[in-house]
Amino acid sequence: MTDTEIIGLFFERSEQAITELDKKHGSAVARVARNILGNEQDTEECVNDTYLGIWNAIPPHRPSPLRTFVCRIARNLATKKYHSNTAAIRNSQYDLALDELEEVLSNGDSVEERYEAKELGTAINGFLATLNPSDRFLFMRRYWYSDPVKDIAEMAHSTTNSVTVRLFRIREKLRLYLEKEGLLV
Amino acid sequence: MKRETITFMLNSIGDEYIGETEVFRPYSVQGSPERTDHMKKRRIITLLLAAVLMLALGITAYAVWNIHTERQQQLKSDLKIEENNVTSYTEYDVPEEQEGGLVLLSSVNDGQVQHVYVNISPVTKEEAARFPADGSFAWSIAGTEIGGFAAPQLPVELSLSGEEAIRDAVMENAYDEESQTMTLQCYIDVKFLEKAAAELGTEAVPLQVHLIAGENTARSFGPVSLSLTEKQSRHFDFGHAVYHDEELDKDIEIVGLELTPFSAVWKVRYEGAAAFHTPEADWEAYQPWSMLEDKVCIEAKLVFPDGSAFSTSGAMTCPYEDGVVKLNCAWGSAINIEDVQKIILGDLVLWENK
Repeated sequence: MTDTEIIGLFFERSEQAITELDKKHGSAVARVARNILGNEQDTEECVNDTYLGIWNAIPPHRPSPLRTFVCRIARNLATKKYHSNTAAIRNSQYDLALDELEEVLSNGDSVEERYEAKELGTAINGFLATLNPSDRFLFMRRYWYSDPVKDIAEMAHSTTNSVTVRLFRIREKLRLYLEKEGLLV
Repeated sequence: MKRETITFMLNSIGDEYIGETEVFRPYSVQGSPERTDHMKKRRIITLLLAAVLMLALGITAYAVWNIHTERQQQLKSDLKIEENNVTSYTEYDVPEEQEGGLVLLSSVNDGQVQHVYVNISPVTKEEAARFPADGSFAWSIAGTEIGGFAAPQLPVELSLSGEEAIRDAVMENAYDEESQTMTLQCYIDVKFLEKAAAELGTEAVPLQVHLIAGENTARSFGPVSLSLTEKQSRHFDFGHAVYHDEELDKDIEIVGLELTPFSAVWKVRYEGAAAFHTPEADWEAYQPWSMLEDKVCIEAKLVFPDGSAFSTSGAMTCPYEDGVVKLNCAWGSAINIEDVQKIILGDLVLWENK
């Protein structure tokens, strides 16, 4: 079934929409949630909350591409759950990814109290635009999808050591970019 | 920056980047009007040849032959083979009467990877449409454990976002419904190819390509005989050129550059380099050196006779070997390596054609 047909089912308020959505995008949604939350019970809850969120959002929304929309909702819900219960869910892939970013972005004095949320959003998208496609792939897979380095290396036909070194360089570039934008001092 | 703030920042990333990175696509190069003109000329020649062959062959055989030759010419144009006098390129003879199976189109050796372009058929429309969500492609060398990744070949100027867009582009550009043919690129590490040749005791190795569609469909095509395409390279020796970075107050010795039409290996030396390129490296101490390595790859310029300049961009890998750090860079379309007139980094002239 195409995404357009699935969205059509949501508009018809047919419960079959959830079944078809799960069939087509369920594994991607669960992967995003699992990487952040690190355990099956929380993942399952998050996937169900995501489908409820989609049910409430379509209509009126008619998202394109559907998978990106669904994964984004899953990620937002998973990160909310992660931050509300961090002690219980240490050692997830997201935890490791945050450790890596925190290590670089905590250097120096932060001016986060002074900047506005919108500026941060603009800055991260501006930074991604400066990266070549390969580096952007590595950054997104590690820090947005929270994939393990080993999996990323397989996807990029590279070695874990090489991906680790390249991610280190990208994090350093991010720090310099945010400093230049006045968001880190 | 607090962890919550970092999460907020990551949650603000745009849909285009989320969709773009669902699947690995290493090269994305913009097309040019020059390329379009070139394609038009190629198409006219192909049409003339087609008219002759349609008389000699049946229509089905013609459709298959046509898709092989058309794809060959598209690839040659996309890779900028002719205008940049690339010799590390092989164009294979297209069989006139073979109606299915695996057909070698062309290949380029970028120094580290041999990119082998092939057609496989028959591939049904349903099987083709399963990529990338539920289908994949792979290559292997028969009689060995050596194998790797293959992907549908798309025009390099395409910029795609999302699985559906990728599938649509594959169906439009890499798949030909009439002849049920899919065009693929096999990424074959040159070392793997040499290892397979040594294991089998032959120069040419039997290449197979595999289609995996869903849980129940897996088919193999070939084998066909594949040899290593000769590498084309130019070596620049910079003696003991030293670049001093004032901001970081550090010196880096740029030993040389190994250039191919599709890749570059910058060779650099600096204090403590060996220790930084191990898994146990002190990342904090490595930071400034990493920035300097990037500077060499990104800010150094290869200058051509018309005054245009080319940057090799950031390194994909940076192993420490033979007493130097090798910064491996790669790009999509060829450059003319014999045309390089000057290599500069800031005010430092590393090499000049005198």
